[in-house]
Amino acid sequence: MSASPSILKSHSQATSVLLYPKGGKPSIIANEWQVWQGATDESTTQNGELNIDYQKKVLVPFAWWLSHGQTQAKDSGSAVAKRIQDKTIGVWFAADDDILKHTEVIESGKSIWPIIGADFPIFRDGRSFSTAALLRERFQWIGEIRAIGDVLIDQLIQGARSGFDSFALRADQNRDVALKQFDLFTVTTQNSWRDRRSQLDSQLEQIQ
Amino acid sequence: MYKYDYIDQTLVNERVTQFKDQVERRIDGSLPEEEFRPLRLQNGLYHQRHAYMLRVAIPYGLLSSDQLRTLAHIADKYDRGYGHFTTRQNIQFNWIKLEESPAILADLAKVQMHAIQTSGNCIRNITSDAFAGVAADEYVDPRPVCELLRQWSTLHPEFAFLPRKFKFAVCGAKEDRTILLCHDVGISLKKNPQGELVADIYAGGGMGRTPILGSLIKENLPWNVLPSYLTALLRVYNRFGRRDNIYKARIKILVKALGPEEFARQVEGEWARIKDGDDNFQQSEWDRVANHFTKPAYKSAQSISGQDLIDGAPANEQVAFARWLERNVKAHQVAGYASVIFSLKPHGSVAPGDATTEQMLAIADLADQYSFGELRVTHEQNLVLADVEQAQLLALWHKAKAQNVVLPNIGLLTDIIACPGGDFCSLANAKSLPIAKAVQERFDDLDYLHDLGEISLNISGCINSCGHHHVGNIGVLGVDKDGEEWYQITLGGEQGNHAAIGKVIGPSFGAEQIPDVMADIIDTFVKHRTADEAFIETYRRLGVTPFKEAAYLNRSKESTAGVAA
Repeated sequence: MSASPSILKSHSQATSVLLYPKGGKPSIIANEWQVWQGATDESTTQNGELNIDYQKKVLVPFAWWLSHGQTQAKDSGSAVAKRIQDKTIGVWFAADDDILKHTEVIESGKSIWPIIGADFPIFRDGRSFSTAALLRERFQWIGEIRAIGDVLIDQLIQGARSGFDSFALRADQNRDVALKQFDLFTVTTQNSWRDRRSQLDSQLEQIQ
Repeated sequence: MYKYDYIDQTLVNERVTQFKDQVERRIDGSLPEEEFRPLRLQNGLYHQRHAYMLRVAIPYGLLSSDQLRTLAHIADKYDRGYGHFTTRQNIQFNWIKLEESPAILADLAKVQMHAIQTSGNCIRNITSDAFAGVAADEYVDPRPVCELLRQWSTLHPEFAFLPRKFKFAVCGAKEDRTILLCHDVGISLKKNPQGELVADIYAGGGMGRTPILGSLIKENLPWNVLPSYLTALLRVYNRFGRRDNIYKARIKILVKALGPEEFARQVEGEWARIKDGDDNFQQSEWDRVANHFTKPAYKSAQSISGQDLIDGAPANEQVAFARWLERNVKAHQVAGYASVIFSLKPHGSVAPGDATTEQMLAIADLADQYSFGELRVTHEQNLVLADVEQAQLLALWHKAKAQNVVLPNIGLLTDIIACPGGDFCSLANAKSLPIAKAVQERFDDLDYLHDLGEISLNISGCINSCGHHHVGNIGVLGVDKDGEEWYQITLGGEQGNHAAIGKVIGPSFGAEQIPDVMADIIDTFVKHRTADEAFIETYRRLGVTPFKEAAYLNRSKESTAGVAA
């Protein structure tokens, strides 16, 4: 798992997120999901057991899920099992997680996780766009994919088209400007998770 | 040539609006420079030594006369009356104000032009053969594929923040005129035995700090599946290309680390999952685009022999005209027609590739009058009128003379490729333009230049290699040593079908030594040359030793930098 200093910096969790469902309209909603940084975080006990506030839903690092979470899930008395039951645990992928190496874990996670996150260690690192695209295309993931980390206004369009439908914007980003981004382009010249290219769109042909 | 439809025009207009908003946020301070930088780069806007520089895309080098007029007006209105044609078929304006850049983009959009993805870590302007559609040795006209890929790659969401820049070249002729093997991806188009359009894909080529020729990773790929195949290729690169070190981030480093076979296998594995999707081009899309690249209304004309053309010129002009025909006029697919190269390399007066507003306006008129209103930009930084009637060559030559673009030096030593270098570029270690000027002044004798025959001299002001020095028969690279500018020389580079990376001959030279060193290298060639041998052939036959000895003979160690940087 890569270091994500940007998240550590803004460790106070996002109070709101931008939700933009496929086919729907973007809106700002209250954030229910805290992002847990993993074993380096103070919120683990020494044996690596997840030890955080039960009142809050949590996204855990996928690497932690592999090393601890999936084992603990089998123990019906564990905190992880309880969270799975309550639908209060999801995972987030670091930018350098190779999701295609863990096909089986992800396939079985699909019925467990209500949400998946993908991290941007810095805004100009585009790896998580491919992660989101693969989750949609390859894994047929239909649940929410949330962009976390150094998420800025000017990466929203690419994120939304690659496969993300929620964005934990960095605290200093203007929410009003962010909401307007999705109206900027009315046409596209390649397929994406949201749209086929406009050239194949019969309605646009009629406009012409 | 291609004309935008409603979708293309809307997209470019909306991109102008988006960039205008980004610039406004930069100016009001809500967008810090560090976060604005990748955004302005993706719109071709660099911050250089003196001002902002705007790089405008000329997709696959094709330009209409009206577009050239707009470029001329932009040079006049927003710059200092000139533009610089680059080695990647773009044009750069060097003296731009940030706050005026959205207005320039709006002017460009009116003539179906833009600066989208001319920089940044994304898919750059796609380059191609400047003689596409007219070259006598062409298998396939590459322009429909170029245009389809231009559209496909424009604002591609998944590949907007790659590890590093990503350059495509597309060719479809017997002789490669695109430096295909020095691109991140080279697409070589041909017809298979069934007559279907297919592509061979080369990956992992590039110049820069680690020059590598691309490797063949896929053969006979049907043209229509290019989007899914390229998605697979770029996805492998986006996920696994290095991001920890900017000098190791190009795809060539990944391909080298994995080995071309393993890289190809990973791409194939990814592609297998997406190859049948509707990302792929449809026949209707080909038809719509290819319809713009039909042949112009050529007159039915007889082919005219070179001698007859020369005989048609006044006696006192025959020598000069013959020389121009030999160097600056190329064979055409259609009888009675030829392609004409305007040299933007006058000896010693302007930077290679520069054209003034006045020249651009006049050349646009010549394009209207003699070449169906279209022009090409070559990666050697010259301009081409591709469809000129042979019978009109003399008249065209007379008119073009007034614009100082008929110097018959195409392919010769003074047809120098050079980047803007330290005079403008903030990345440069050393100036390149004064070196080009000094060499052109030293070798100003046209008779001598013609006798020497084809020699490419390419000059880069830093290891980013925008002046393509690695593939020059003679390459000059500006290096910095203890704050001083030095110049390293490479020999044996070549573009085309025999593409090769030049070898460094030894310690660097001071700027003032370069013309003399050049003369020593050339004298060595003349001394050893047999019959009509070209410089590169003599070099290949003899190897570097005699040239190296001549370059360092009578030059003290102190006078050279003593290091091969």
